[in-house]
Amino acid sequence: MIDYVTKVIPGKIANGYKNFTNNEWFFPIHFPGHPNVPGALQLEALAQMLTVAITTLPGYKGKITHAISHTVRFKREILPGERLEIETKVLSWKRGLCKGLGKGIVAGEVACEAEMIITIPEILEKYTPKR
Amino acid sequence: MKKEKIIDKYNEVFTKSFKIKKDKLKNLKYDSIPQWDSIGHMSMIGRLEEVFKISLEMDDIIDFSSYEFGKKILKKYKIKL
Repeated sequence: MIDYVTKVIPGKIANGYKNFTNNEWFFPIHFPGHPNVPGALQLEALAQMLTVAITTLPGYKGKITHAISHTVRFKREILPGERLEIETKVLSWKRGLCKGLGKGIVAGEVACEAEMIITIPEILEKYTPKR
Repeated sequence: MKKEKIIDKYNEVFTKSFKIKKDKLKNLKYDSIPQWDSIGHMSMIGRLEEVFKISLEMDDIIDFSSYEFGKKILKKYKIKL
Protein backbone atom coordinates (compact mmCIF):
# COMPACT_ATOMS: atom_id res chain seq x y z
CA MET A 1 0.00 0.00 0.00
CA ILE A 2 2.87 2.34 -0.70
CA ASP A 3 3.83 3.77 -4.09
CA TYR A 4 6.87 5.76 -3.11
CA VAL A 5 9.06 6.53 -0.14
CA THR A 6 10.23 10.12 -0.27
CA LYS A 7 12.21 10.46 2.93
CA VAL A 8 13.71 8.07 5.44
CA ILE A 9 15.81 8.57 8.51
CA PRO A 10 16.37 4.94 9.57
CA GLY A 11 15.06 4.28 13.04
CA LYS A 12 13.32 7.64 13.17
CA ILE A 13 10.96 8.57 10.33
CA ALA A 14 9.68 7.41 6.97
CA ASN A 15 7.50 9.47 4.65
CA GLY A 16 6.01 8.82 1.24
CA TYR A 17 2.75 8.49 -0.61
CA LYS A 18 0.17 6.24 -2.16
CA ASN A 19 -1.85 7.29 -5.21
CA PHE A 20 -5.37 5.92 -5.39
CA THR A 21 -6.31 5.69 -9.05
CA ASN A 22 -9.81 5.36 -10.43
CA ASN A 23 -9.10 1.71 -11.19
CA GLU A 24 -8.39 0.32 -7.73
CA TRP A 25 -10.01 -3.10 -7.27
CA PHE A 26 -11.93 -2.08 -4.18
CA PHE A 27 -13.67 1.06 -5.45
CA PRO A 28 -16.50 -0.72 -7.30
CA ILE A 29 -17.47 -2.56 -4.14
CA HIS A 30 -16.51 0.02 -1.49
CA PHE A 31 -19.00 1.33 -2.24
CA PRO A 32 -21.14 1.23 -5.40
CA GLY A 33 -21.98 4.81 -6.26
CA HIS A 34 -19.73 6.17 -3.49
CA PRO A 35 -16.24 4.80 -3.88
CA ASN A 36 -13.75 5.54 -1.12
CA VAL A 37 -10.64 3.87 0.29
CA PRO A 38 -11.36 1.25 2.98
CA GLY A 39 -10.07 2.18 6.39
CA ALA A 40 -8.20 -1.09 6.71
CA LEU A 41 -6.13 -0.24 3.66
CA GLN A 42 -5.41 3.27 4.89
CA LEU A 43 -4.10 1.76 8.12
CA GLU A 44 -2.06 -0.76 6.16
CA ALA A 45 -0.41 2.10 4.27
CA LEU A 46 0.58 3.78 7.54
CA ALA A 47 1.85 0.53 9.04
CA GLN A 48 3.88 -0.36 5.96
CA MET A 49 5.54 3.05 5.99
CA LEU A 50 6.46 2.63 9.66
CA THR A 51 8.11 -0.70 8.83
CA VAL A 52 10.25 1.14 6.28
CA ALA A 53 11.60 3.32 9.09
CA ILE A 54 12.77 0.17 10.89
CA THR A 55 13.82 -2.13 8.07
CA THR A 56 16.13 0.53 6.68
CA LEU A 57 18.26 0.23 9.81
CA PRO A 58 21.53 -1.65 9.30
CA GLY A 59 21.02 -5.41 9.31
CA TYR A 60 17.23 -5.33 9.04
CA LYS A 61 16.71 -5.17 5.30
CA GLY A 62 14.16 -7.76 4.20
CA LYS A 63 13.20 -8.80 7.74
CA ILE A 64 9.63 -9.99 8.22
CA THR A 65 7.55 -7.61 10.30
CA HIS A 66 4.29 -8.25 12.12
CA ALA A 67 1.60 -5.87 13.25
CA ILE A 68 0.82 -6.19 16.95
CA SER A 69 -1.62 -3.46 17.91
CA HIS A 70 -2.93 -0.37 16.17
CA THR A 71 -5.25 2.38 17.32
CA VAL A 72 -6.53 4.35 14.35
CA ARG A 73 -8.82 7.28 13.71
CA PHE A 74 -10.33 8.09 10.35
CA LYS A 75 -11.14 11.71 9.74
CA ARG A 76 -11.82 12.14 6.06
CA GLU A 77 -12.80 9.94 3.17
CA ILE A 78 -10.19 9.26 0.51
CA LEU A 79 -11.65 9.30 -2.97
CA PRO A 80 -10.55 7.93 -6.36
CA GLY A 81 -7.84 10.07 -7.88
CA GLU A 82 -6.51 11.36 -4.57
CA ARG A 83 -3.00 10.97 -3.15
CA LEU A 84 -2.41 9.89 0.42
CA GLU A 85 0.71 11.55 1.84
CA ILE A 86 2.07 9.31 4.57
CA GLU A 87 4.20 10.46 7.48
CA THR A 88 5.44 8.08 10.16
CA LYS A 89 7.60 8.50 13.21
CA VAL A 90 9.29 5.94 15.44
CA LEU A 91 8.67 6.62 19.13
CA SER A 92 10.71 3.68 20.37
CA TRP A 93 12.59 0.74 18.89
CA LYS A 94 13.93 -1.78 21.34
CA ARG A 95 14.40 -5.52 21.40
CA GLY A 96 12.41 -6.09 18.25
CA LEU A 97 9.42 -3.96 19.22
CA CYS A 98 8.60 -0.67 17.55
CA LYS A 99 6.07 1.86 18.77
CA GLY A 100 5.25 4.60 16.32
CA LEU A 101 2.84 7.14 14.95
CA GLY A 102 1.45 7.48 11.47
CA LYS A 103 -0.49 10.20 9.73
CA GLY A 104 -2.18 10.17 6.34
CA ILE A 105 -2.83 13.50 4.67
CA VAL A 106 -4.97 14.23 1.61
CA ALA A 107 -5.09 17.67 0.02
CA GLY A 108 -3.62 19.20 3.15
CA GLU A 109 -6.12 17.57 5.50
CA VAL A 110 -5.48 14.72 7.92
CA ALA A 111 -7.40 11.73 6.61
CA CYS A 112 -6.23 9.17 9.13
CA GLU A 113 -3.83 8.81 11.99
CA ALA A 114 -2.67 5.89 14.07
CA GLU A 115 -0.62 4.75 17.02
CA MET A 116 1.02 1.51 16.03
CA ILE A 117 3.08 -1.30 17.50
CA ILE A 118 4.97 -3.54 15.09
CA THR A 119 7.60 -6.16 15.64
CA ILE A 120 10.35 -8.09 13.94
CA PRO A 121 9.50 -11.53 15.42
CA GLU A 122 12.95 -12.90 14.69
CA ILE A 123 14.42 -10.37 17.13
CA LEU A 124 11.60 -10.32 19.69
CA GLU A 125 11.74 -14.09 20.09
CA LYS A 126 15.36 -13.92 21.22
CA TYR A 127 14.27 -12.07 24.35
CA THR A 128 11.32 -14.17 25.41
CA PRO A 129 11.47 -16.92 28.03
CA LYS A 130 11.61 -20.43 26.66
CA ARG A 131 8.58 -22.55 27.47
CA MET B 1 13.83 3.05 49.24
CA LYS B 2 11.91 1.15 51.96
CA LYS B 3 11.42 -2.56 51.36
CA GLU B 4 7.61 -2.24 51.48
CA LYS B 5 7.69 0.42 48.80
CA ILE B 6 10.02 -1.64 46.61
CA ILE B 7 7.72 -4.65 46.65
CA ASP B 8 4.73 -2.42 45.97
CA LYS B 9 6.47 -0.99 42.93
CA TYR B 10 7.44 -4.47 41.78
CA ASN B 11 3.87 -5.70 42.12
CA GLU B 12 2.54 -2.67 40.31
CA VAL B 13 4.74 -3.48 37.30
CA PHE B 14 2.83 -6.72 36.90
CA THR B 15 -0.66 -5.52 37.82
CA LYS B 16 -0.39 -2.59 35.42
CA SER B 17 1.38 -4.44 32.61
CA PHE B 18 -1.04 -7.35 32.62
CA LYS B 19 -4.13 -5.65 34.08
CA ILE B 20 -4.50 -8.25 36.82
CA LYS B 21 -5.14 -8.08 40.55
CA LYS B 22 -2.45 -8.43 43.15
CA ASP B 23 -3.81 -11.76 44.39
CA LYS B 24 -2.92 -13.33 41.02
CA LEU B 25 0.79 -12.58 41.30
CA LYS B 26 2.17 -15.37 43.45
CA ASN B 27 2.09 -18.18 40.86
CA LEU B 28 2.26 -15.95 37.83
CA LYS B 29 4.49 -17.27 35.04
CA TYR B 30 5.23 -16.46 31.43
CA ASP B 31 2.44 -17.78 29.24
CA SER B 32 0.24 -18.67 32.25
CA ILE B 33 -2.14 -15.87 31.27
CA PRO B 34 -2.93 -14.55 27.78
CA GLN B 35 -1.55 -11.12 28.66
CA TRP B 36 1.92 -12.50 29.45
CA ASP B 37 2.87 -13.43 25.91
CA SER B 38 6.01 -12.27 24.12
CA ILE B 39 4.61 -8.78 23.64
CA GLY B 40 3.38 -8.58 27.21
CA HIS B 41 6.79 -9.76 28.34
CA MET B 42 8.54 -6.89 26.55
CA SER B 43 6.08 -4.36 27.92
CA MET B 44 6.57 -5.67 31.44
CA ILE B 45 10.34 -5.66 31.13
CA GLY B 46 10.27 -2.12 29.77
CA ARG B 47 8.11 -0.95 32.64
CA LEU B 48 10.36 -2.72 35.16
CA GLU B 49 13.43 -0.99 33.76
CA GLU B 50 11.70 2.37 33.87
CA VAL B 51 10.43 1.98 37.43
CA PHE B 52 13.70 0.72 38.88
CA LYS B 53 15.98 2.66 36.53
CA ILE B 54 17.90 -0.41 35.40
CA SER B 55 18.81 -1.98 32.10
CA LEU B 56 18.41 -5.74 32.10
CA GLU B 57 20.86 -7.95 30.30
CA MET B 58 19.55 -10.16 27.52
CA ASP B 59 20.01 -13.40 29.48
CA ASP B 60 18.08 -11.95 32.40
CA ILE B 61 15.23 -10.88 30.13
CA ILE B 62 15.03 -14.44 28.78
CA ASP B 63 15.29 -15.99 32.25
CA PHE B 64 12.63 -13.69 33.74
CA SER B 65 9.95 -16.35 33.45
CA SER B 66 7.89 -15.79 36.58
CA TYR B 67 6.92 -13.22 39.16
CA GLU B 68 8.86 -15.09 41.86
CA PHE B 69 11.96 -15.78 39.80
CA GLY B 70 12.02 -12.15 38.79
CA LYS B 71 12.74 -11.21 42.39
CA LYS B 72 15.94 -13.29 42.25
CA ILE B 73 17.00 -11.65 39.02
CA LEU B 74 16.52 -8.17 40.44
CA LYS B 75 18.89 -8.96 43.33
CA LYS B 76 21.63 -8.94 40.71
CA TYR B 77 20.72 -5.31 40.09
CA LYS B 78 20.83 -4.54 43.80
CA ILE B 79 17.09 -4.48 44.16
CA LYS B 80 16.12 -6.51 47.20
CA LEU B 81 12.59 -7.79 47.34
